[in-house]
Formats: sequence, structure tokens, C-alpha cells
Amino acid sequence: MNVLKVSKLTIALFVLPCLLLYVCLVFVPIIVSLYTSLIDWNGIGESKFIGLENFKDLLFHDKVFWPAVRHTLMFAVFSMLEIPIALFVAILLSRFVKKPNFLVSSYFMPVILSVVIIGQLWKTIYNPASMGGMLNQVLEWVGLGSLQQQWLTDPDIAMYSLYFVALWQYLGYHTLIQFTGIQNIPSDIYEAAKIDGAEGLKADWHITLPMNVPIFKISIVLAFIGSLQSFDMIMVMTGGGPGNATDVIATHMYRMSILSMKYGYGSAIAAILVVVCLVATVVINYGFNRLERKYT
Amino acid sequence: MAKMNMKSILGLVLTGSLAISLTACGSNSNNGGNSEASNNAGATNAATEKPASNEKITITFQNIYPDPTDPKHNMMKKIVDQYQSEHPNVKIELDSLNTDQQKQKLKTQAASKEVPDITIVNPAAQMQPYVDAGLFAPLNDMVEQNGLKDTFQDGVLDFYTFDNNLYALPDGNNIGVVYYNKELFEQAGITKTPETFEEMVEDVKTLKAKGIQPMAIGEKDTWTGSFLFMNVLLRTNGGPGFLSDVVAGKKTFEDPAFVEAVDAMQNLIQAGAFQEGVTSFDYNAGENLFKTGKAAMYYMGSWATGGIETSEAVKGKVGVFKFPTVNGKGDANQFMLAPGSAFAISADSKHLQETKDFLNYFMLNFPKEAFAVKGAVGLAQKVDGDFKAAGYSDMAINVLDLFKEVKGGDLAFDNTMNPGTAQGHLTSIQNIFVQKKDSAEVAKEHQTAYESNK
Repeated sequence: MNVLKVSKLTIALFVLPCLLLYVCLVFVPIIVSLYTSLIDWNGIGESKFIGLENFKDLLFHDKVFWPAVRHTLMFAVFSMLEIPIALFVAILLSRFVKKPNFLVSSYFMPVILSVVIIGQLWKTIYNPASMGGMLNQVLEWVGLGSLQQQWLTDPDIAMYSLYFVALWQYLGYHTLIQFTGIQNIPSDIYEAAKIDGAEGLKADWHITLPMNVPIFKISIVLAFIGSLQSFDMIMVMTGGGPGNATDVIATHMYRMSILSMKYGYGSAIAAILVVVCLVATVVINYGFNRLERKYT
Repeated sequence: MAKMNMKSILGLVLTGSLAISLTACGSNSNNGGNSEASNNAGATNAATEKPASNEKITITFQNIYPDPTDPKHNMMKKIVDQYQSEHPNVKIELDSLNTDQQKQKLKTQAASKEVPDITIVNPAAQMQPYVDAGLFAPLNDMVEQNGLKDTFQDGVLDFYTFDNNLYALPDGNNIGVVYYNKELFEQAGITKTPETFEEMVEDVKTLKAKGIQPMAIGEKDTWTGSFLFMNVLLRTNGGPGFLSDVVAGKKTFEDPAFVEAVDAMQNLIQAGAFQEGVTSFDYNAGENLFKTGKAAMYYMGSWATGGIETSEAVKGKVGVFKFPTVNGKGDANQFMLAPGSAFAISADSKHLQETKDFLNYFMLNFPKEAFAVKGAVGLAQKVDGDFKAAGYSDMAINVLDLFKEVKGGDLAFDNTMNPGTAQGHLTSIQNIFVQKKDSAEVAKEHQTAYESNK
């Protein structure tokens, strides 16, 4: 049964270049960094093999690491909670707006902007009122002066201020993905439902949601991975400070490997980040596969 | 038969690509184990390649003057052009990067043993790892061959010397001073600059009461606050050398002098000295507050002089004073010393002799050209010339006068301590800018960071 009428060898031969490139660019660096995580190395001079010492320090003695993990996971949770909202917006757009394309592209705008610009923009919005910070000034004008905060410099609040900016930036992105998904659902299904007496949001509950599950999954995975890797926005806005109040795994890794010149230790953090990403992807996939089987 | 052929071809391709991928990836894994070998290989290469005098050669000159509006950029180009016209066989290739980019690029290059012919390093502890890894060529013979050494100020080269070998030549030598806006001081009714830290805190309160922002700092960059803090410590310790004593095991960070310094620093912060949202201001944003006349005082290295005196908003209104004594301790003539970034030559350079020759020429011409573009405040070399006649501002001359009174001092934290401890210190100090902490606890944080990075 040789459907393709090409030998397996030929297939292998044609796949080979790509495979090699992929292995060299993805797997080899991961393995090299796994090896680096086992040595004590400042990046320049001699290195020393120390086994799992880096991981031991990281998991049991590092006072910054676990809060950084917490910040990262919270980041992921918030980003994922955003997806249902994006879906809801997409449903509203497709149901109640006649020409939604303009709105969808407007929501998408922040995604196109560079993270550095977004960071600078929100930094000025979050500034204290005395420095012309818009948010605090607005609060003062509407008589809510008591709610004014040091948005980026109060260690208890700074992290949430950062989450909000990321959510703001990516709402349009996920709305677009969901919107496209909804557009792809054939309209005859809705017509049939209409005859059966299901209209409006009821039809959405029974048709749009189940049929959109695969697209929903894409958004969730993207949001999760994206927030685990969040780095640039935090670097621009707070640099992980004040103190370590807004450090996430990636900024901690940067601080350790580049600034503290502990490459081995930084690689250990990277290794853990890879593991977290892999595990999360598997878990999310498993969950959604069950969901998909239920509905399709 | 065709199948057999296919198989053998495939086998060949597979082995070949495996070999390629192995070698390609092999050069990426930078464990220091075989570094010695490749180092030696590089050295023999250089030795066998005795260049003839008319051979065309290229020297890569990595530098941190990328900004064409910065006088130093044009000055560098001018000297380089001069040299090239005198030595037609030599081409100097400029690799101009800003400071942070350069630091990271060099780290990456160092990891793969591809240091450019000339590069930039920072003094003392910051360049130690590079020197230990044998990446730089000693310059002793080069500075002595034609008196280049004597153009440098006394003692400044010590910060770049390890085991009696000089490895880099600094482009600057600065001190920490307090700039103040005379007009804002007048508005607040302050008639004289503070001579004690307590007076300074009082002045902060007076300014604050008049609605004037007392001090500016860009604390997002963390080293800024550390630089100020180290000056307080230089006072409470009664003189320089606290960190070296810690390294030598004679003191710990929980020493009373250190705790006292943290206390004093917190007093200043709690008096409302710094602008709101201070940890989200980077270095430039912080300095801009002062340069635009929105803050009354600014503590910084004297390298800021040029930028401040060219700012229209505060032109002619700025003076400088020495950092005051703290609780009656310390000597105001001891300063935070900031020997500048320095030019080093790669030990693996293919044209070591020519590179040395060029750098020698460059440094000999450096003070003269810098003086001409009004960039001669805070040079590491002696400058001949009448600053006043050349049109330098009063403030610049004030700063130059302070240099004459320097009686020693300390280096910045990250120039004395290893990078790991320095990071711990920087975040710990940044933290007290946003929340009041128990000073003993701050000291303990430092000690923990030091011990875990020893």
C-alpha cells in the first residue's frame, strides 16, 4: 500500500535538511543549556562541574526564585482568564456589529506597537500625579483621589499594574483569533437552530462555544506560553524592581546569568522554565482533547 | 540496486550532516575546559604571522561613543582618520555601541574567545574575570616606550593593573559630587551649601516645604542609588576601604558603620528628598529632572558636567559642592572615585603590535583633542591648557578645582565586589527607596548575598 508512490527513503531524504536545522537550532541549544546548568561558570573563564548544586540552590535557598515563579504563574492565569472575555467580545462583534472589521483592527492595534513603546506609554500613564501621570490625575479629577497609587513603585501593586498592561495589549490579539474562529462556523447551522427556536446568545451557548473549542485552545496555549516568557515589557517598565517585587522567571534568569555572571545558575533557571512550559502544554492539550471529544 | 544506491547515499548524507552539525554545535558549547588549548593556538597563529610593514591590515576598535552629537564621537573619528592617513596600510574598523550593548556584546564575544582587537572594560573587580581568563594583552611595554604612562594622573592606572601587569588605559577619571541649582536654593531661602549630612536633610525639608523637588535620581538603573549610598558609607566608615575590609574578612556588612550608613540613607529618603516614582526613572530621566531645572540637587559622577552645562534650562545656574560629612564622621575631601571605562587589547589579536601602536597614538592625542571639544573635565590624563581661556564654564572650573582637593576615596560597589554580591546590593538599596526597612535587616541581606556569592 504505497499511496504516495514514493519510497520512505526519499521522504526521509527530503525531510532531512529541515529536521537537521530544527535539531541544531532547537534541541542542541536546549541540551547545551541543560549541560551548562550543571556547571559553575561565569561565562568567561574556567568552569567547574558541580552536578545538581545549582538546582539545589535555586529550589531551596533562592529567596527570589519562588516569588518569581508565583508572579509568572499568576501572569499566565490572568492571561488565560482574559480569553473568555476576548471570546465574548468576539461574539458581540460578530452578532451586533454590521461591519466589525474596523473595530477588530482597532482592538488589534496595540499588538502591532513595539513592546518598548507600550512600556514607555504606560509608564507615563502610571506616573505619580506630580510627574504628570494620567491615571492618577484622572482619579483626582473624578474625586477618587484616595485611590491614587504609586502604580509601578509600590511593591504590592506594581506586579498587577504590569499584568494589566499585558492584558490590555493582547486583548485585541485574542479577540481577532476568536473572531476568525466564529466567522468560520457555517451560517446554516445557526439557521437550522433558528428554526428550532434557538436564537441570539442561546444559539451562541449551544453552537458557537462548542464549535469554537479548538480555536479557544490555541488562544489559551498562546497566552500561557507568552506569559511564561514575558520579559521585555517588565524590563522596560520596572526592570524587575523595586527590589525584586516584579521579577518573573525570565527576568531573574537574565539578572543571574548576564548581570551576576552566573551562567550555570542562569541555565538552571532556563531548564526549569523549559520544563514548566512542556508540562503546561501537555496538561492543556490533555484537558482540551477531552473537551473536544465531548463536543465534536 | 537502485534502492541500494539510495541507501548508501542516504547513509553518506546522514553521516556528513551529523559531522557538520556536531562541529557547528561544538563551537557553541563554551565550557572553559579546552579554552586553554584554543588560546595557545591563537597565540602561535599570531606569532607565525609576522606582518610585513606594507601588508594591509584591519584593526577592530570596539568603543562606547556611538552618538554623533557627542563630541567624543567626533574626536575619536578625527584621531582615527589622522592615524589612517599616516599609516595607509592600516584600516581601523569602528564598532560603536552604547554602554550596555557593548558590555553584553563583549561578554558574548569573550565566551567564544573572539574579543575584538580593542575593546572597553570597566576597572578593578569588573575586569578581573576577563584578566583571569587571559583575554587581554599586558600593555606595560607599550605605555613605557614613549612616555605615555607619564601622561596619566598618578595612581589611576592602578585600577587596571593586576599582578604588576597593566591591561587597560582609561578614558576618564571622575569623582562623585553634588550639583545644585543656585536659583532654586535662593527661592527656598537657603544661603549656603550644606556641610553636614544633617544640614542637607534640613535643606531637603526646606525645599520640600516650598514645593521644590529637593533631589533627583534615576533609581531604575540601581547603580545610581548605590553610588550615593557608598558615599554615605565612605563617611560613616570614617574613610575608605570598608568593602576591602569585608573581602579581607576583617569586617562584615553587619558592622555598625554600615548600619549607620543605611540609617542615614533612609533618613534622606524618608525626608522626601527624591521624586515620586523614583524606581521607574532610568538614569537619563532622572538626570533630565535636574537638567530641566525641576530639581534642586543631583548627586552624580563628575562626568555629568558636560551634559548639565550644555542644558539651556539651567545654564549658568548650577554649582557643585562636596558630599557632606555624616554624623560628624568622614572627611569631605574623600570622594567616590570613578576611574572610567578603559581600552584593552585582546591577547589573541592577529596584529598585536599594530594594535598597540594605534592605541598608543590614540591615547597620546586623547587629552589634547578632548580639551579642544570641551570634553576635558574628568579625564584620566593630565591636560595642558588654560580652561578658563578656552571657554570652559564656571561650573566646569569648579569641578576641576574639586579634583585638586581629592584625598583618596572608594570605588563604586560593583568595582570592588563580585557581580553576584553587587546584584544583591543593588536590589537591596533600590528597595529602601520605596519602603522603609529595618537597617539591620538591610545589612543582613548584604551579608547573606556576600556569603552566598563568595
